[in-house]
Amino acid sequence: MAETEQKPAGVGVHVDRPRDVANKSDKDRLLRAIRMTLDIESLTVRANTQHFNRGRYRAVAELPDYDALKDQARQIKEKSIANLPELIQILKSSIRAHGGHVFVATTAEDACRYILDVCHWRAAKLVVKGKSITSEEIRLNHILERDGIEVVESDLAEFILQLADEQPSHFLAPALHYSRERITALFKRKFKTDLALDTGEELTRFARERLRDKFLYADVGITGANLIAADTGTLMLVESEGNIRLASFLPPVHIAIAGIEKIIPTRQEMVPFLDLLSASAVGQKMSVYTSFLSPPLTDPPFALPGKPSKPREFHLVLIDNGRMQMREDPVFKEALNCIRCGACLNSCANFQTVGGHAFGGETYSGGIGGSWEAGTSKLENARFSELCTGCTRCVNQCPVRIDIPWLNENLAQRLNQKELSATLRSAMGSVTGAAPEDRSAPIAKIFFGNYHYFAKWGTRFSSISNLISGDAKKRHTDPEGEVKETVSPARLVMERWLGLDHRRALPAFPKQTLVQAARQLAVPSSKGRDTKVVIFADVFTNYGMANRGVATIEVLRALGADVVISESVPEGRAALSQGMIATAKQHARRAALELDSHVSDGRDIVVVEPSSLSMLRRDFSHLLDSKERFERFRSRAFEPVEYVVRMLAKSGRTPQQVFDISKSKVGYRLFFHAHCQQKTIGCEEPTLALFRELGFDVVTSNVECCGMAGSFGYKKDFYDLSMAVGADLFGQIVQQDRNGGARQLVASGTSCTEQLHAGFDRSVVHPMEILASLLEIQESTAKLEEEDKELESDVASLKRGRKEESKS
Amino acid sequence: MVDLAATFEENAMEASAMVWRCERSPLALRKAVGLAAHKARGIVLSEPEFLGESLIAGLRGLAGFIPRPDDDQLATADAGVTEAFAGVASTGSVCVALGRPLVSATSLLMPLNIVLLARERIVARPRDLFDPDCLKGEGLKRNLVFITGPSATADMGPLVHGVHGPHRLLVLLLE
Repeated sequence: MAETEQKPAGVGVHVDRPRDVANKSDKDRLLRAIRMTLDIESLTVRANTQHFNRGRYRAVAELPDYDALKDQARQIKEKSIANLPELIQILKSSIRAHGGHVFVATTAEDACRYILDVCHWRAAKLVVKGKSITSEEIRLNHILERDGIEVVESDLAEFILQLADEQPSHFLAPALHYSRERITALFKRKFKTDLALDTGEELTRFARERLRDKFLYADVGITGANLIAADTGTLMLVESEGNIRLASFLPPVHIAIAGIEKIIPTRQEMVPFLDLLSASAVGQKMSVYTSFLSPPLTDPPFALPGKPSKPREFHLVLIDNGRMQMREDPVFKEALNCIRCGACLNSCANFQTVGGHAFGGETYSGGIGGSWEAGTSKLENARFSELCTGCTRCVNQCPVRIDIPWLNENLAQRLNQKELSATLRSAMGSVTGAAPEDRSAPIAKIFFGNYHYFAKWGTRFSSISNLISGDAKKRHTDPEGEVKETVSPARLVMERWLGLDHRRALPAFPKQTLVQAARQLAVPSSKGRDTKVVIFADVFTNYGMANRGVATIEVLRALGADVVISESVPEGRAALSQGMIATAKQHARRAALELDSHVSDGRDIVVVEPSSLSMLRRDFSHLLDSKERFERFRSRAFEPVEYVVRMLAKSGRTPQQVFDISKSKVGYRLFFHAHCQQKTIGCEEPTLALFRELGFDVVTSNVECCGMAGSFGYKKDFYDLSMAVGADLFGQIVQQDRNGGARQLVASGTSCTEQLHAGFDRSVVHPMEILASLLEIQESTAKLEEEDKELESDVASLKRGRKEESKS
Repeated sequence: MVDLAATFEENAMEASAMVWRCERSPLALRKAVGLAAHKARGIVLSEPEFLGESLIAGLRGLAGFIPRPDDDQLATADAGVTEAFAGVASTGSVCVALGRPLVSATSLLMPLNIVLLARERIVARPRDLFDPDCLKGEGLKRNLVFITGPSATADMGPLVHGVHGPHRLLVLLLE
């Protein structure tokens, strides 16, 4: 039974052990793992990952050339992967020139066999290991122990996991899910000791005392390597405890295990990683120890009394185990760039909440872990990558610029295609217009991925559809007079077939779509309006929150823009989030076609829903046919407030000349929550800056994501996780409310708004709705009309003048 | 002009190292090491490479100094004195070049590691040591360890200093 100090499970309730649910090739184990981590590990995981995450933000902000370093690191990694076979040969020569040995293992079994042979040749009884995730991948401990060799994990986190018989929950901090209290309980139980172990210092001393002799008497030391330079055979080893240094220095035999993707051409090219690795990983300028070793070392090995002196020996075991196949895969090749800093894990809201025991497999965890688990074991083992919501918060944090959401969308696609196709799914896919390649996806995915189809019909018959999807719970009084709640049959059907959790309130379909409402607005004359805009009627705004789009049109027109609205077509966001990439491509092309004529007409594109905007700014790069096509839309797509700020700057007007804060109907105190993808594409700041300049008192959340993440929070499988993630945001709002009363909630994203509604019975408005309410629309319109008349009269008099001139 | 020594001192202390500025004379050095390791039962000195034997010689007379330690003594000594190959201002790291006798042991095995850093060997950023023109390009050839504060872990809950490596790191910045 796992330790359960944080939130004890009820008596008699089965609690899974992490190992029981490590392999998540079937969905049930994934769901059990989520329950297990939410019950036992969540509080500690959250505290530790968020601590790392804050540290990383601080540390990278202090790197003056952070972006340039990322570019350098990326180029070095790409070049290395491209030239991997040649680099392996160069590295072999370099290591052998120093007197070391190199073995390239095709499989995990080959690697274990070689290491076992080395241990046998040297009559090794005791092996001391530094942290090595690659050794976890090949299950080395198990193989050595089966042969009677004592294997001691010396990294304190690995030491804890070895005692507890658990897999790592994080690349970098493998026992990050263990609180101090749980470690105390574990040590007391395992070592049967009454010693005081109530502080970090006491626990550390206790572990150190048990491990020091192991180092001194070990026959073999095993480490990993963060990078390896082919030209010199130099290993770069980064750590904090000193155990890796001890393992490579004290025993006579040093074996380093590394995936072949760790090789880079030269020692000099390790430089950008020096700055990036520690900052991204632990938020430090540099880790305590960063070693550059070209083993074998020249120092004589230790020889304590009773331990015969032996010559130093070094073995480098390079592991393929699927990596060469990953290298051939146009998508998963990308994962080989990973330097295992863990920044993507720490910046992921879902990972912060459940850690790698739910959002991870037998070895690898987090968003990047799915590709690694699939690449080094099998595709089905990457099912946990479903916890990647595509929020993109990891994208800017990755020091080698890996597009992790794209990897996971591809994993989802391949997993969808592995599903056995069924008639119902196929029919549903066909009716909704899903691409043939995506029709074997589960029904719930086809539903969410083609939301535009259902939204269109839902809106067309809104009174009926709202009745069906409305109140999930019906109250009735039983014969004994007790009031009971039951879930409405319609919601039960939706939960069963579409995966929509009945606890989640569904947004009502509007009576009028944005496109319909926009066509009813008075259209001012376009004369004198040089700024031309098309509002992209994204599916979420058009069928969900039309008022946000109307407000955007009003504000932009008041600022003098010539605004038209596009047809509402899906741009691919919904399909992409379900791994329906072929369908997403169809949708993206359709949206591009819809916008083409507007762009040719010189119009900028304003997109109200941030996740749709993010498609145009980011994801279209994967979905459209050429970079030129992507660039055509990327460069002209804007977030509404971002565009307002641009227009103000262009016209030379101050915000106060256009917006009158005294008209605010929502007070002056705002709590603004920016959408996750909005933050990634850099569109949070304009809203904060404009509202502050107008005189609003604005606070904002620092959560990476609200937990709703599009359709993720609607799903019955993930509702609990979604709400657990949302708890951070809710807590921050409550905290702010305590300080001066409730603030008006403001959110740019549709799904963020729904999540806020789930937490608070309060109105949530879009920034453009506030701005629209601050406009003096009538005066503005009147002024514009007056200007138009003046312009017309000027033109008329000019024409008259010309006529008179020509007559004379 | 950036004062590299001052930046180094600030960043090293932020990384929980202690930094003492010390006059570059045998007497001052002996006094400083003696003060730092006054309760040490065993003091081990790595073979000098950059500072010169005459500066270091006085340390051999300190109480507790072990002239030719065997491995058992290395495993139980209290203080190790290591010469730094370089210092890094932006990170507060000392960079130790391995290879000479006892450098690895003194910088790793004892609870107290005293590192002797010559002021003129402080560079601005870690990358400078990989420049062929910096310190005769030795940084590209040698086995190096950048040490930034005492060994540490956060695996046991709060941050704890003194895990497998030294609990305390004292840098004597030789003016």
